[in-house]
Amino acid sequence: MEAGAHRVNTNEAPDNVRLIGGEMLLWSDMSGLGGVVDWRGAALELLGRVLPDDGRVLLVGPHPQALVDDVVARASSAAVLLRSYPDARALAERHPGLTVHCGRLELLADEEPYELVVALDGLLRTHSAEAPAAAWDEALGALADLVAPGGRLVLGVHNDLGVDRFVEARPTGRECADDQWAPHGFDPSYPGGPGALDVGLESAGLSVQRCYAAFPDRRAPRSLLSREALGFDLPEALTFALSAGDGDRMLVADPLRVTRLVFRHRLGEELAPLWVAVATRPPRATGASRTVELPLGLIEDGQALYELTPSGTRRLPGGEERPVPAGRVVEELLVEACAREDVRTIRELLSELAAWLEEGGEVSAAADSLVHDGERFAAVNPPAAPATPPEPRVVLCRILWRFAVRLLAAGHHHPWPWPLEADQLTLTLCGMAGHTCDPGDLDLARKLDAELGRPAELAADAPAYRDLLSARDRLADQLTAALARIARLETKLSYRERELVRAKAKLRRTQRKATAYRRTLGYRLSRRLARPRKVARRVMRLLSG
Amino acid sequence: MDESNHWYGHSRILSRYCGLSEDTPNRIQGFLQHGWNYLHGFPPNDHWCSPGYPRFVWSDVLRRRGWSMGRRGHYLIGAPWIYLLDLEPELGVRPDREGTIWYPFHGWEKYSVSGDHARLADEIRNVETGPVTICLYWLEYANPDIRQAYGSRGFRVICHGDRGSRWEAKGRDFLRKQLIELRGHRRVASNRLGSALFYGASVGCEVAVYGDPMQYEDERPEYGGTARRLRLWPELHGTEVDRELAAEVARRELGFEYQATPEELRRMFGWKRVRTA
Repeated sequence: MEAGAHRVNTNEAPDNVRLIGGEMLLWSDMSGLGGVVDWRGAALELLGRVLPDDGRVLLVGPHPQALVDDVVARASSAAVLLRSYPDARALAERHPGLTVHCGRLELLADEEPYELVVALDGLLRTHSAEAPAAAWDEALGALADLVAPGGRLVLGVHNDLGVDRFVEARPTGRECADDQWAPHGFDPSYPGGPGALDVGLESAGLSVQRCYAAFPDRRAPRSLLSREALGFDLPEALTFALSAGDGDRMLVADPLRVTRLVFRHRLGEELAPLWVAVATRPPRATGASRTVELPLGLIEDGQALYELTPSGTRRLPGGEERPVPAGRVVEELLVEACAREDVRTIRELLSELAAWLEEGGEVSAAADSLVHDGERFAAVNPPAAPATPPEPRVVLCRILWRFAVRLLAAGHHHPWPWPLEADQLTLTLCGMAGHTCDPGDLDLARKLDAELGRPAELAADAPAYRDLLSARDRLADQLTAALARIARLETKLSYRERELVRAKAKLRRTQRKATAYRRTLGYRLSRRLARPRKVARRVMRLLSG
Repeated sequence: MDESNHWYGHSRILSRYCGLSEDTPNRIQGFLQHGWNYLHGFPPNDHWCSPGYPRFVWSDVLRRRGWSMGRRGHYLIGAPWIYLLDLEPELGVRPDREGTIWYPFHGWEKYSVSGDHARLADEIRNVETGPVTICLYWLEYANPDIRQAYGSRGFRVICHGDRGSRWEAKGRDFLRKQLIELRGHRRVASNRLGSALFYGASVGCEVAVYGDPMQYEDERPEYGGTARRLRLWPELHGTEVDRELAAEVARRELGFEYQATPEELRRMFGWKRVRTA
């Protein structure tokens, strides 16, 4: 936070920054800690659908730069509200024509209302350390007041019981980070489910148009699925892709496994990491509001964006509608067979896969993006193949290596009897598919995997237990504090010792001087002379008393 | 722990509040906020506040702000001033309060402020109607030119003394002297918001903030400058300020709600040996 110190002089604020009160001078929401939620294509598309042709737009809270730039470029009039002064300043410098309000949400209440208010980051970062944090419903009330009649609100709400929370080894909100001066989790008005969210929006005078569940992770949501879509029996080809978070975080469980269960149990809405609600304020006169057709779902897959339709998916922009391939995900078929130690099924499936690849199957496919309906393989939204198609043998090797890495990383049971490394397991699997591959092929396969840009090897360390971690962290903190304490005491001690030595020396010097002084003639004479006078004084006192 | 814990007789006041001897205050295991502040209770370069020791701060906004800046271990006890008021409900109370006590913003041992005292004195004379007492920090009091600037305009010039230390008894009566003076005056004024002003407001003085706010030669930007004080407390600036409102703000800034019990303080300060198994 100190880094911004040289820029906090608010007298030098750009003209388009308005300090409304509660601004945080030494704070940034853009980096570290929570950071900015990494909204990409799906959010941009959703906002594109609800942006009014002509009207005021307000962005509340931190949003990724690309999203802000896009909204500012497309809206006829836009403003932003941020609590951090350095962030506001940076944004104002990037967009000199944009009004940037800096401060607490509640203090913006007297502004003219907006056609569209976007708060994808939610309400938790609209308060500031300068004042006690408002309850969620109060903040929502303040936000809803900014929406003009007939206008729209797009609000993100983190689910405290989101599936991503189940697997976190370090539950955020309990690690006492710098942004936790007002601890989260004790506000009774914070929505405890989709129903409570609806009620909250209704009581703020808004009517919910559509509510989306965002997956796979609240920090990097890649897909938005409407409540209606989650009501259907979604094909596995679709839900499997939603489950894999790209995590560099410490986890206690395989997020894939847990999220698969969430979809299987049809709890996608309740356990979504994040909800995005699109709500409208009823217009004053009837029929005045602009009707907007909202998508059923938006799914990002790498760079591509697909819209979910009642009968399939459609690539945006302007792609053809295609049905989602049916069948089960190959990785899951293999994992199941491994769990059953059913090597026959594995052998058969891998041989079929090898044959399919020989016949010109998708080169960029992988076990986690292929479905098998019992007869045929089909690739789900495959990434673009490399310019020079590699040999089918290398393609197979890559698919199997990737599977091996993921199998071992997830700690699934498998039938191979000795402890294996992924490389050795891959060569075994290739053998089971009827191919003899060598380490040279493996290198090519690894290169191909890197080229396709979806690394199999995640940075995640071996899973650790929450308690173990927190105990270790606590000890580390105590050790740091103890070391700091020792260092401080050492400094103090040496300072005092020096002082003591100095004082002792001074004392010795003084004593020596006093002794020397007592030996001088003058002193001795004055003592001699003083004695008779003292005696005389005593006699006088006796006589007079 | 730190020298600043013993400045202005703070540790002595708290010792007495805890029922201990005032003459030899014990070491406080932690860091006591020693003056009103609108950062996190301590100067920006607070590296001397070792982690692991509590920071005894006055109000909750300092805790929140400090937390957001990576500081931890805040413990709210309010200002030592409120403990003095608790101990001395009657000290210096006078029915006939009159005049203004004026605290020009002061530098300290390592920083001096730059500003024109003569011009400030003229401004004070133009605004104040009753008798004026100028209270200078000992550094400025030691400068005859500054004393002269105020004295020559007929103001009474005083000083509450040195801020003292644990070993020297010099600063022990600083706050007591200040309390007596504040209870004797009807009004307290300064060119900057500061501890003295809130102390005054808390004992019923009218408040005023006006005049050149005088800059430190090397003022830290973390505070956000005079502009920020004006934005945070617009209602406290001016020659006439609503007294009720000022008292309310003072209660908040001095942390009256956070007054701790003697036993709690004894334990928090490490003044009570804790027997461990």
